[in-house]
Amino acid sequence: MSWRLRWSFVWQVARKELLSTARDRRALLSSILLPLLLIPLFTVGLPLLLTQALSGQGQERQKVGVIGTLPAALRARLTADSGDTASATDVGVLLVPVSDPVKAVQDGSVQAVLKVTEPLPTRAGQRTATVQLYAKLGNLKAESGVIGKVRGVLDGYNSALVAEGLKARGVPASFLTSVRVQTVDASRPQEAASGQLAFLVPMFLLQFILAGSMATAIDSTAGEKERGTLEVLLVSPIRRAEVVMGKLLATSAAALTSAGFGLIGLLISGVVSALLLRGGAGKLSGAMNSGGPNAGGLGGQLSVTPGGLAVLALMALSAALLLSALLIAVSIFARSYKEAQTYVTPITLLILLPAVALQFSDFIGRGPALYAVPVINAMVVILDIVKGVPNTGAALLAVAVNLIFTAILVLLAVRSFGREQVIFRN
Amino acid sequence: MLQVENLSKSYGTFRALHNVAFSARAGEVYGLLGPNGAGKTTLLRILATLLRPDSGTAQVAGYDTQTQGEAVRRVVGVVNGGMGLYDRLSGREILRYFAGLYGMTQAQADARIAELNGSLGLEGTLDTRAGSFSTGMKQKIVIARAVIHDPPVLILDEAASGLDVLARRALLDFVLDYRAAGRLVVYSTHVMSEVEEVCDRAAVLDRGELIAQGTVAELLAQTGQSSLERAFFSMLQGRAERLGGMQ
Repeated sequence: MSWRLRWSFVWQVARKELLSTARDRRALLSSILLPLLLIPLFTVGLPLLLTQALSGQGQERQKVGVIGTLPAALRARLTADSGDTASATDVGVLLVPVSDPVKAVQDGSVQAVLKVTEPLPTRAGQRTATVQLYAKLGNLKAESGVIGKVRGVLDGYNSALVAEGLKARGVPASFLTSVRVQTVDASRPQEAASGQLAFLVPMFLLQFILAGSMATAIDSTAGEKERGTLEVLLVSPIRRAEVVMGKLLATSAAALTSAGFGLIGLLISGVVSALLLRGGAGKLSGAMNSGGPNAGGLGGQLSVTPGGLAVLALMALSAALLLSALLIAVSIFARSYKEAQTYVTPITLLILLPAVALQFSDFIGRGPALYAVPVINAMVVILDIVKGVPNTGAALLAVAVNLIFTAILVLLAVRSFGREQVIFRN
Repeated sequence: MLQVENLSKSYGTFRALHNVAFSARAGEVYGLLGPNGAGKTTLLRILATLLRPDSGTAQVAGYDTQTQGEAVRRVVGVVNGGMGLYDRLSGREILRYFAGLYGMTQAQADARIAELNGSLGLEGTLDTRAGSFSTGMKQKIVIARAVIHDPPVLILDEAASGLDVLARRALLDFVLDYRAAGRLVVYSTHVMSEVEEVCDRAAVLDRGELIAQGTVAELLAQTGQSSLERAFFSMLQGRAERLGGMQ
């Protein structure tokens, strides 16, 4: 078997595969339209929806059950509308008597229950008493809504009693607060933009590389076999290595096209989010200022330097080559397009599982070993870039590792293209 | 032009070919006859360098299929029964693609496509995507693809199966024209009438072994039958009885 490549033949195979892919509507949809739609949807739409849903809790008058007797001043605080911010007003809760706190919360007749088992103090210095708050603690809506609201009122009631007691004794309120803490965000601009959803950026890019390459890889291997065109192709004077390289180039180009549109999607959503989540939406920022959920903080937007963009492109290229080679090496074993789809499904988990784990990347050490794991290294490098802490040495190590694995997979694929058991597998 | 000597090939314990030997020359249509599973496709795939024999040799236009595979592939054209085409490419794009793989320039490819358009009648296929082709249109492009580089040896493996009467007629006419141009056509089929009509000589394969070869008249004479179909049946039956007796 000759391994010497004649690039004009390689290019002919690649050009034919690309032409075929470009005329495949399904491939175009997953390569171009999905990245452009999905990324803004997740990185702008989702945080916006989440913010609106969570901040809307302040304006909702939740039902809170009461067992026992609440002091009149506390009842008044619980039911009163706060109106303490210009742009957003937290309305009070509706107090209703209940008998069984657990049942009332579970059947949804109330969202929380305050159970008073002993008289509550009405002025400072009285014996400390306990009030039990029943609510669904693992529930995001309850946590961000009624629980926070009732706790806030109880804290306010406590503070008011203490302040009154201090005042009666001629002690200023500042007596209790010697040091006030003011937190300042020291994140890099890229880190702030990427926020808590930073892990989405590498996940999206790798997912789109995989999605973009899948149709071309399968169609040019198992698809050719199923149509009977592979046999005809291999009867021509083209060498097996040229066939594999041509298909690899076409598959990688399709993958990079998809990744490119993913990148455009991220950049667009960065601009849109700056307008919507930070500057433009006064009402929303009001909700943020009042201590509500911060959509800007969720992030998921891309903000990179030109150098970072270059490293990111290099990383995407190496990942595209590696995933394309993997898909080709696997798909050639399948007898049909459908069978190949079954074979490559586990590969999607290769991306999904580490991507989900990247949520906890701040807890993961960044040793060289991590950058030596193919595919995962691409995610970590991209995350580093997104967070504004690119490590050029680690990125180059990751690229080298991916290229070595690509070469191994190409050799395997060339061998498979020359094996009777693979080409004529029935 | 074609020299096959003691070819054997097995798939695991299944013996697909056993000591097959024959030769064919330029300017003839050489038929390969046999029931399903006789080893015809295995033999043709060895000739096309897609399979390697376990033992024996095959030479095509003077090139050894095992040691000079690339040279062999330059001088053969293959039509398999599948009619596989690239659905999203037009007939012209498919032919240009394969012409390129044979090292032809686009000008050479276009000149050859024009020539084949004259002989095969490719109108309606050249600028239409193959996904919408009828069976007849597919057959024309499949044949044109196999001979785009004007090979001296053309291999047809069950190429007429599934074709309607008109398309089958067109295929047989093309085979006769190709022979008239001094090329060798290796024609595999299990349809006796096709062999009678186009083959100058034929070999009969059964269970991987070549059990008879010669002109149609010689095959009839060997069995004393009046038609090739009867002769073929008689050969297979006689062999089955011999093998049964041996067991």
